[in-house]
Amino acid sequence: MHLQAIVLGLVVGILVGFMGVGGGVVLVPAMVYLLHFDQHLAQGTSLFLQLPPLGLGALLMYWRKQQVDLRAGAICALGFFLGGYFGSRVAIGLSSRDLKGYFGIFLMIAAALLWRRKSAKPKAKVAHA
Amino acid sequence: MPDSAPRLLLILAMATGVGALSGLFGVGGGVVLVPLLVLLFDYEQHCAQGTSLVALVPPTGLLAFLNYAHAGEVSWTVGLLIMPGVFLGGIAGSRIAQKLSPDGLRRAFAVILFAIGAWQAISSWMK
Repeated sequence: MHLQAIVLGLVVGILVGFMGVGGGVVLVPAMVYLLHFDQHLAQGTSLFLQLPPLGLGALLMYWRKQQVDLRAGAICALGFFLGGYFGSRVAIGLSSRDLKGYFGIFLMIAAALLWRRKSAKPKAKVAHA
Repeated sequence: MPDSAPRLLLILAMATGVGALSGLFGVGGGVVLVPLLVLLFDYEQHCAQGTSLVALVPPTGLLAFLNYAHAGEVSWTVGLLIMPGVFLGGIAGSRIAQKLSPDGLRRAFAVILFAIGAWQAISSWMK
């Protein structure tokens, strides 16, 4: 179980750096299926291990290439904090099963839109042409 | 990238919505934030991912974590064992991302996102 946890961390970490996401979306189901945690224990442990800024190493890589919008990122952090409070309050009254399913459908639609999107042209250049 | 005040306000509103979603579904915000930055705000894929990593630096899940800790729903050992891998893997993953073109990375992101979405949908309704 200890070795599994270490390897799981490494695999999830690669995803974190590759996609610029937190990793919880993969960690929770992985702990449920691979380590046989129940859902609450998996979610609590996932929240615990994401307390330190584990994505900082990955962030520095993006920073060096100037692929970071620091102000927008800070504003998003504020939004996460505010929204997380209201979201978890709303969640209590709803069926988590259907919610999770709809969330999955939302992700699939977002993925399809991302896939189809024409390559981003630097807008400023187009405007000044 | 010049950020006008109205644009930053829109981003704040969007991020609040994303935060509400993460509270609802118990997932991190990045997986929703990155596609929305690209689709709604015209971020280039690498920049959207770098910006998402900034938003994940502060411990925004602290309040939620305290609730779980209070209820005894935290496995401290496993959590600590997973941490170093996530940090080191994160550096390796971002190196791989830097090797891809923005379009290549966007498509790779879309494929993984679709797989995660399908996994979520199937695991909630196929039991």
